[in-house]
Amino acid sequence: MKLARTAILAVASVSFGSAVVLHAQDNSGEPEMSELERRLDVDSVLFNATINEEPDDDLLEQGRLVAMGSSENGGSGMACITCHGVDGQGDGSAAFPRLDGQAGWYLYKQLEDYASGARPNRVMSGIAERLTEGEREAVAAYYAAMPTGDLDNAHGSIDGNQLQWGGQLASVGSAEKGIPACVNCHGAQGTGLPPSVPYLAGQYAGYMELQLELWSEGTRDNDAMDVMSTIAEKMSEEDMRAVAEYYARVTNPETGGEQSDTDYDMPAAE
Amino acid sequence: MPQFSRRAVLMQLGASGLAALTPGAALAQNRYAELDTQPWSYLDGNEARFLASMADVLIPEDDFPSASQAGVVDFIDLQLAGPYGQGAGLYLEGPFGDGTPEQGWQADHTPASLIRTGIARLERDDTRLVDLDADEREEFVTRLSEGKDFDLGDVPAKTLFDEIWALVKEGYFADPIYGGNKGYAGWEMVGFPGAHAYYPDHVDKNAPFPAPPRGIAHVPGTRHSADTASALRGADTPKEEG
Amino acid sequence: MATQLPKTDVVIVGAGWTGLAAAKELADAGQRCVVIERGDWRHDASNFGAPEEHDELKYARRKEHMIDTPTKTLSFRNNADQTALPMRRLGSFLPGKGLGGAGIHWNGQLWRPLPSDLEMRSHYADRYGEDILKGMNVQDWGMTYDELEPHFDFFDRVCGTSGVAGNLNGETQDGGNPFEGPRSSDYPNPPMKASPPLQMFRDTAEQMGYNPFHMPSANVTRAYENAYGAQLHPCTYCGFCERFGCGYFAKADPIVCIYDVVKDHENFELRMNSQVLRVEKSEDGKTATGVTYVDENGREVFQPADTVCLNAYALWNVHLMLVSGLGTPYDPETGEGTVGRNYAYQTIAAASVFFDENVWSNPFMGAGALGMTIDDFNGDNFDHSDLGFVGGGYISANQTNGRPINYHPTPPDTPKWGAEWKQAVRENYLHHVGIVCHGSSVAVPQNYLDLDPTYKDAYGQPLLRMTFDFPENDRKMSAYVLSKAEEIARNMDNVRAVSTVNRAAEGEKYSIVPYQTTHNTGGAVIGSDPKTSVVNRYGQMWDHHNVFVFGACLFPQNLGYNPTGPLMGLAYWTLDHMKNDYLQNPRPLMDA
Repeated sequence: MKLARTAILAVASVSFGSAVVLHAQDNSGEPEMSELERRLDVDSVLFNATINEEPDDDLLEQGRLVAMGSSENGGSGMACITCHGVDGQGDGSAAFPRLDGQAGWYLYKQLEDYASGARPNRVMSGIAERLTEGEREAVAAYYAAMPTGDLDNAHGSIDGNQLQWGGQLASVGSAEKGIPACVNCHGAQGTGLPPSVPYLAGQYAGYMELQLELWSEGTRDNDAMDVMSTIAEKMSEEDMRAVAEYYARVTNPETGGEQSDTDYDMPAAE
Repeated sequence: MPQFSRRAVLMQLGASGLAALTPGAALAQNRYAELDTQPWSYLDGNEARFLASMADVLIPEDDFPSASQAGVVDFIDLQLAGPYGQGAGLYLEGPFGDGTPEQGWQADHTPASLIRTGIARLERDDTRLVDLDADEREEFVTRLSEGKDFDLGDVPAKTLFDEIWALVKEGYFADPIYGGNKGYAGWEMVGFPGAHAYYPDHVDKNAPFPAPPRGIAHVPGTRHSADTASALRGADTPKEEG
Repeated sequence: MATQLPKTDVVIVGAGWTGLAAAKELADAGQRCVVIERGDWRHDASNFGAPEEHDELKYARRKEHMIDTPTKTLSFRNNADQTALPMRRLGSFLPGKGLGGAGIHWNGQLWRPLPSDLEMRSHYADRYGEDILKGMNVQDWGMTYDELEPHFDFFDRVCGTSGVAGNLNGETQDGGNPFEGPRSSDYPNPPMKASPPLQMFRDTAEQMGYNPFHMPSANVTRAYENAYGAQLHPCTYCGFCERFGCGYFAKADPIVCIYDVVKDHENFELRMNSQVLRVEKSEDGKTATGVTYVDENGREVFQPADTVCLNAYALWNVHLMLVSGLGTPYDPETGEGTVGRNYAYQTIAAASVFFDENVWSNPFMGAGALGMTIDDFNGDNFDHSDLGFVGGGYISANQTNGRPINYHPTPPDTPKWGAEWKQAVRENYLHHVGIVCHGSSVAVPQNYLDLDPTYKDAYGQPLLRMTFDFPENDRKMSAYVLSKAEEIARNMDNVRAVSTVNRAAEGEKYSIVPYQTTHNTGGAVIGSDPKTSVVNRYGQMWDHHNVFVFGACLFPQNLGYNPTGPLMGLAYWTLDHMKNDYLQNPRPLMDA
């Protein structure tokens, strides 16, 4: 079962590859580097993009080059943008999650885990193995610094009652099934809890549903102490689909933190 | 708008702080006169100014806001108007005895009436805390904290101080949903990341963790909490006579 | 006139750890159980989820999960010469209310007593002579560690306790507590992670020749299916254990660990929002006939039962006995009577360690039982010959929380408020750890519980009255153990300053105001002599054989450990004897 699923993913990525490359020729969605650097002035973006070292323009530029397919060891074999898009927004195939604005340390750890095999994935393992540790950090920081754009194709169709159930699982969990609420760890409205916990809001439903299945069957077990497997094991396929479709519909407003002239609301100074 | 009015009281306090450095502080008091009828939920203008000036002695402004700047008076006002101020969690059956310090709260007062009565008696000769200069305020708060030299009838001075100080700390550090800790001032100051908490990957690392704070009602993409407190402020909260 | 309900087999007062364990075990044994709980229904998934549960003001300050003093409180004085006054606000200890009881807001520090603790009088008398216990009501528990061990072991598997065994079947193990009694099996789960200050405490304690180990923890460290088939999840180190419920299913609690697996049992019925007023007795007074309670609609109801289990909080069990006329109240003048006798507490002191900026404690990353501990000065693990006291306590660097309203570490000589205070809080918050001395508490004749002559609760019943101050023995013990903790603190690296606080310092009276621990013990103690115990060694009342008593009220004196582990060992011991002996043939299990 495990092998079969990995194989499907590999085939999927290859078959989507050529189509997305065409899309990747159009670089209009690529974020301006100066814009990313400016965003590092915002606490929350800086924290999100910091993995080992505080990110600077050199690191972001290195990250951008890695995303475009260059690397010290002669290229990763495939540019990130090929499948995840120049804007980091992936696609709806269930295999390519969006990465834009995702928690940086989380992305970095996924690359480490792909490389070591802790997160088995035939395609990503090959790519991650060829990246140096510095390159993994750079490309993770690069995506983490991006603003999260709006997507209108993250979700599929689902019955209204099911969707409501998904929302309930997300916000209060289920006492009956012993499922804790997603917001416990995934942050306000599923917008993530950097550095460790990825956002769910606006992520592709298909991707999230597939990951829940992988957690549930134990193929994926690379979070801290494997808490997600414990949760996913208690979920039915309907639960997984419901909660995935729910979060795919939640707008992710973590655009990276508004700029603020004054740190505090100081009435006496007004 | 109530919120604007409350802020106006505090603006005057800031002005009085400057005025207090120079003689003729009574001028400031006159300027407060018109503010005595502001629609706080529980406090009146005098009480708000007393609490603001005392709170700012307890937590003064430095690189981080003072107590009143962080919304502590707003917080206290809501707390006193709500269940806590009205005696929830406080056994108030008589008879009332003085008791020993080890026996804890023995006043025949809710927190709200303790503070109202206490302030009225502290200021019964029309000397207002806000009119004192900075040194005098500090000296006053020190004496109150020791419970010395005050005859406040059935309001023990030490209990009054402890109650206000507890509320000031709560207002500075509680989740912003209660009206204090504005802009996460208290949390930013110490480095507390807030209500959203997940640290299995970091608990054993000797490294800073400068996560920007997020409260219970954090508005994603901003650095502040949703304003849940003003919704708590009913239009016509009855005022309790002190 | 109370409404009379149909009779049940067992009525259980209180739905906390012991009440739900009793319901589960007895329901499985074919007994129809009615559990009566004063508070609300609640559940980890629906009621304790983050971020809403992570509300320090609501839960830690306003104490939403705890008993509500206008409904139920007690009166307190330091000694019999004073007039007791009501504990108008919660402070020193925090009894719970609602499904799961105080087991919801505990920290999860899950200990076993030392073998010598359970035979304290015999042990000290043998080793040092009777005189060392002069003036104290120290006594044996009436059973041995070996008798309780299978029950401690079972409860470890109910909670998924994490830790490193120090003694496996008599073999000393590296990294564990070498002083502990033999474990029949290893901890179900590996120990918690160690934060930087805990790592430093471990290194320093080791260098000083002590034996540091991970505090045994019911904050679960990996996915775990417990002995009843309930699923626990790994801890996220969120820093909201004590005073909070756990929405992560990671802190073992009575709801997730037991209620979920008994709730649909045909022999189980739970009645919420129902306050038990008294246990009713038969005409000859030899047995109980059931309990009278006020139900959720305010009606007074009588629930007849063959067997009555008292599973309320330690203090309220004693209160219930006193207002029901169960057993004989203790008389401090004559020393006779047993109900209310041997009330004890916990003797808490602490050293505060202020690190320089190279040590990041990040105190908000924590867990209720995240601690690195030495047991070298607990119980009789050290020679008491020339010390002038008995007992001791564990010394533990604990990182339980960094909740910002309460957590304001400031070095010695910092003003209590103002600019310097503010600066000090800001500088030290991320670079501090507390080292607690969790000391034992001996029973003495002058510390006891009875009924207050003046004050009444919301049901018109007299308040319980507590008369307590720290015994001289415990003051000496606390000063001694604290001095050892302070030495460790000063030997740690990167330390800028150390301060200490000792609640039981000479000249300081016990105060009901600052929080110390929710470890009130005794008042209905267990033993093998009806003159000095309320229940026999099986937890059965000497005077009323169909009344069984559970919880920390059974402790003859308090241990240097947190009570949940020991009292759950006793609970399963009692239930074992109920299921396998008493219920087949109801009678006194020991001759008075």
